[in-house]
Amino acid sequence: MSTELIKVTINGNEYQTEKGARLIDVCREHDHNVPSFCYYSDLALQASCRTCLVRIEKMPKLQTSCTVTCTDGMIVTTESDEIEKARRGMVEFLLANHPLDCPVCDRGGECELQEMVFDWGGLEERFSERKNYAPEKFLSPMIGNDPQRCILCKRCTRVCDEWMGEDAIEAGGRGAHTVIGTYGGWLNCSQCGNCIEVCPTGTLLDATYRHQARPWELEQTVSTCTFCSDGCQVSLGSRAGEVMRSVARDRYVDGINGEFLCIKGRFGHPFINDEQRLRTPLIRYRKGGKLIPATWDQAFEFAANRLKEVADKHGAESVGIVGSPRITNEANYALLKFAKELVGTPNYGATDAFSLVPFFENLSAPLATHKDIRRAQTIILIGGEPEELQPLTGKQIRQAVRNGGAKLIIVNSTPIRLNQAASQFLHINPNTEDAFVLALTDESQAASSMKTLGIEAEQFDAVRKLINDTEGTCIVMFGGELSHAAQVALTGLPAMMAGESRKFLFHPLPIYNNSVGVHDLGLMSGELSARDMVAVAGEGLHAMYVAGSFLPEHLQGQEERLAQLELLIVQELFETETTKYADVVFPAASFAEVDGTFTNNDGLVQRVRQSIAPVHQSRADWMITAGLAKTLGMDFDFQMSASAVFRELAERIPAYNGLRYPQLKDESKPVQVKHQISERRDTSNDMQTLRERVSQMKPDGEKIMTTPNVGHELFKPGTLTSKVPQIHLLAAGNPKPETVLISPLYQITIDSSLRRDEAIAAD
Amino acid sequence: MRIEAIGCEPNLIKRFALENSTRLDVVRKHGAYDMARKAVTTMSPAAVIDEVKKSALRGRGGAGFPTGMKWGFVPKDSPKEKYLVINGDESEPGTFKDRYIYERDPHLLLEGCLISCYAIGARTCYIYSRGEYKYLIDILDRAIEEARAAGFIGEKLFGTDFSCEMHTTTGAGAYICGEETALLNSLEGLRGHPRMKPPFPAVSGLYGCPTVVNNVETIAAVPWIIEHGGDAYRALGTEKSGGTKMWSVSGHVKYPGVYELPMGYDNLEKFIMEDCGGIPNGRKLKAVIPGGSSVYIMPASDIIGKKVLMDYEGLVVAGSMVGSGGMIVMDDTVDIFESTKNLTEFYKHESCGWCTPCREGTDWLVKVFKRIANGDGRIEDAQLLLDICDNIEGKSFCPLGDAAAWPIQSAIKKFPEDFKKHLVPMLQQDAIAAD
Ligand SMILES: Cc1cc2nc3c(=O)[nH]c(=O)nc-3n(C[C@H](O)[C@H](O)[C@H](O)COP(=O)(O)O)c2cc1C
Ligand code: SF4
Ligand code: FES
Repeated sequence: MSTELIKVTINGNEYQTEKGARLIDVCREHDHNVPSFCYYSDLALQASCRTCLVRIEKMPKLQTSCTVTCTDGMIVTTESDEIEKARRGMVEFLLANHPLDCPVCDRGGECELQEMVFDWGGLEERFSERKNYAPEKFLSPMIGNDPQRCILCKRCTRVCDEWMGEDAIEAGGRGAHTVIGTYGGWLNCSQCGNCIEVCPTGTLLDATYRHQARPWELEQTVSTCTFCSDGCQVSLGSRAGEVMRSVARDRYVDGINGEFLCIKGRFGHPFINDEQRLRTPLIRYRKGGKLIPATWDQAFEFAANRLKEVADKHGAESVGIVGSPRITNEANYALLKFAKELVGTPNYGATDAFSLVPFFENLSAPLATHKDIRRAQTIILIGGEPEELQPLTGKQIRQAVRNGGAKLIIVNSTPIRLNQAASQFLHINPNTEDAFVLALTDESQAASSMKTLGIEAEQFDAVRKLINDTEGTCIVMFGGELSHAAQVALTGLPAMMAGESRKFLFHPLPIYNNSVGVHDLGLMSGELSARDMVAVAGEGLHAMYVAGSFLPEHLQGQEERLAQLELLIVQELFETETTKYADVVFPAASFAEVDGTFTNNDGLVQRVRQSIAPVHQSRADWMITAGLAKTLGMDFDFQMSASAVFRELAERIPAYNGLRYPQLKDESKPVQVKHQISERRDTSNDMQTLRERVSQMKPDGEKIMTTPNVGHELFKPGTLTSKVPQIHLLAAGNPKPETVLISPLYQITIDSSLRRDEAIAAD
Repeated sequence: MRIEAIGCEPNLIKRFALENSTRLDVVRKHGAYDMARKAVTTMSPAAVIDEVKKSALRGRGGAGFPTGMKWGFVPKDSPKEKYLVINGDESEPGTFKDRYIYERDPHLLLEGCLISCYAIGARTCYIYSRGEYKYLIDILDRAIEEARAAGFIGEKLFGTDFSCEMHTTTGAGAYICGEETALLNSLEGLRGHPRMKPPFPAVSGLYGCPTVVNNVETIAAVPWIIEHGGDAYRALGTEKSGGTKMWSVSGHVKYPGVYELPMGYDNLEKFIMEDCGGIPNGRKLKAVIPGGSSVYIMPASDIIGKKVLMDYEGLVVAGSMVGSGGMIVMDDTVDIFESTKNLTEFYKHESCGWCTPCREGTDWLVKVFKRIANGDGRIEDAQLLLDICDNIEGKSFCPLGDAAAWPIQSAIKKFPEDFKKHLVPMLQQDAIAAD
């Protein structure tokens, strides 16, 4: 679109607009309401519903305003008898074979077809014939389908193709018997459910929420998803203290993700009200004994006394404080304050999957937002697997390539699914990502790195050329594969390759919803990391206060070491491997029960909002920490409000300076924290380390030739997602049931094991 | 089954009657491929396009678009591949002319393709035929093999740098795949839905490359134009539509068949009543659908004594269209309600389902027709049918919707009695009959 301004006349009013603007958008911008179904911004044009018809002077027929680009002097009418008749005609057609079963439809009350009929429907139905029939059924454990309600706008098939690159659903049949269907009658896709979201009617249904609630009973709370570092904005629908669903429907929420969510964001919420949530504080009075329910006062008292004992006996540095990349900035800030100001220990960390400290310390270009990704000209993805681990990033990449013509370079030892979109795929030897970074940032090493990488020099040169030819933005993304030295080396890239018409942005791919937040707070820069703390538990470290739980990568199979601690305090949602060793367990409130903020991989601080009251006796993490501090004699002065915690955090953490909750109010205008772009400093030591690392790499082992299955990460039942019964079906390979007419859940027993093992084995 | 030229020399059909007319050695003796050689070795592509422009050749697929102009839209300096796609879907009810070109003179089509590819700068030509024409495709495939063996298809033809490959493909039997953009989708292996226009295929067609889609008969006319010149071709017909056209005549005439007539043939009445032998069994002419099912139906009163000229303008004046030239003649035994119901069922069956008005409208129309046929007609049904048609017409994504509406609109208008008698509920009809 150019910025040349032109004039169009709509219903007698003259407007200026950009040349090439889409007529329907211009009409709406100026409050000339034009209805639509199939038009969906940033998806391929469809022009099939024919509800957006308008009259344009000098054109013989009514025109679909969704397909018309404005030209100078265009004269448009959006309201006339002729247009009204046409619109009413289309709505009448759409209802002809529609079952009109709104009273039993999950979409009733938030259905675009209902709204359209309110505006453009007739008073009487003239269609007195028999309606076409197709049975209601399931397309997957997550997705229900009532084909009769379909108006064939094909938003679903387009998002499946254009957003997800999966093409799992497509129209089948012809004419009035066209139905949206799957290949082979069952969906073996990533189960993102975006087809449900964009469906304007009740044709595609959230199978996990079917018949559970009516939309108007739900209170909608805009919040941030808790499952990955992309930070999608969601609307949590709750009723009577229970979160019933999570959607990104644009009538409720308008965030960086539009209406996009992935399987976890959309279907992962049942853990919130799960039976197994911890109900009360628990105390293990003696090692080896049982965790016994206690009151909050008792638990605080117990923990405070023991903590004081350890600190007195072994010194403050024998206490380790562990925050979490899954909880709010406010919660982590309280822990940091606890460590620094109350205990006075340098040993604080967070249970992130990998550290980005070297990267952030040497940050040389701003972080890319998801909008930047969509508009990028070139994207380099080193390691990582965004389509499984940061699905919104994956979607933005695909759209950048498909709709924006971006060039995608993938450097990976695995032929990941995103390769479909790549212009260049460097299929490197396993664990040699560092060698690629070295070759890219140190030309003298390029030639010798090819063998290590297992690629041809021409391939590598082609990648360099692509970067050098970029006019516009080049975004560098990387996953957890890079060593610290490689992270530092990579930050040298902009200085080497940026040019007048070429700018670089970084997009790290951490795993968790608040990974960037824990880095920003400095929690990843304590003396001992979470993993180190576990390693020295009982030797030097005698007490630990952990929010959340350790991951296998922190425990390194040494969870027994936790038993060596004199005191382990854990705050958690559920009993976990870590709570097994805890002396005190505080029941924490989940993200749906607290106010706070998460910082995503764009560096956007986004609000987390309380949707329901904390379940049982649980409390917000920062309140627990403040409560424990208080018992220890320090008033954190948080005034019982998350916004006060954030205010203090923002005052002390430079990148957050000046931020307050009111500025973060509007999810459609997210605020990026001010990560400091550091002066380029001497990195020769890191380069040397990197060279040594790479020189020791042996190009042995075989290349990985198989593309990982869809969902190999997304469907893994984790502590949270395992509470979704359907996940267990997906994890078991998503077998197609014998009948699709009843809920696929019939295939599993109450304890989530599969009922029909034979059938699954045969799949 | 007659195949005859009337009012002109046989041009398109001149080799049809030869024994073994599908064989290259046979048609070579009658000049096959000489015009391809002439065009490629002695004319520039622009000169070929010029001749075709001069000829006033208009597309024989139904829309009647000037062929030379269409070729002129192909961007000459585009770095992309260019394609010629031959539309042999021939699914319009009543139309059966292209098949005779396949069956009787495949080399005429192939020669036309060669010249056309040369003109538009294409190296590849796809000949797309309806799935039901499998047996004809075998003929065509054999012809292509023969032509290739003889050096008329392939690399560096006629000692020049011009190379041309030809491939045949079939649809799976969908009428919509005759629509040029749906055809391209089908050719690419996608669902047979029409595409949005613009961009038109000439700019962005097959695989996003400039593509000319032409009907079989259109392309078959090209060698004659090269042989005799554009002006001569135009002189065969009228100023605005040059040349001769094949009409496929079926229904209640003594001699159904394929007739080659000059454009502007004078006149429709004479053609039906004399050239085609008139209406058999002493019955009277009731109605004619002159150009394939998608055009307005004409009552006999609009034909008899009316001197209807058989060309694009003449038939429009007379209240219909040339369309594909698939003429369906009906005598007075035909109930126009029934024949219209039959056509509507066709359109419902063939609606691709992409757009709302055609998909739901044709479904609804058929349901109303069926209800009426079952004796549950209501007097307001005529208005309902017209209103449904009005909500389809001009609002559908592609012309198939219009094509479904027009026959009904014209049938109700021109044959109200045939509808009225069904719109009285059965019981009342019985009562009337008993009277
Ligand atoms: C519903 C529909 C069906 C059509 N079927 C045919 C067909 O069977 N054969 C054909 O040549 N053109 C058919 N057309 C016309 C083509 O879209 C196109 O105009 C034609 O192939 C162009 O070639 P021409 O210019 O040589 O006529 C059809 C059009 C529509 C809208
Ligand atoms: S008018 Fe619409 S539904 Fe009918 S064939 Fe064309 S695109 Fe398909
Ligand atoms: S919104 Fe324009 S045709 Fe559907």
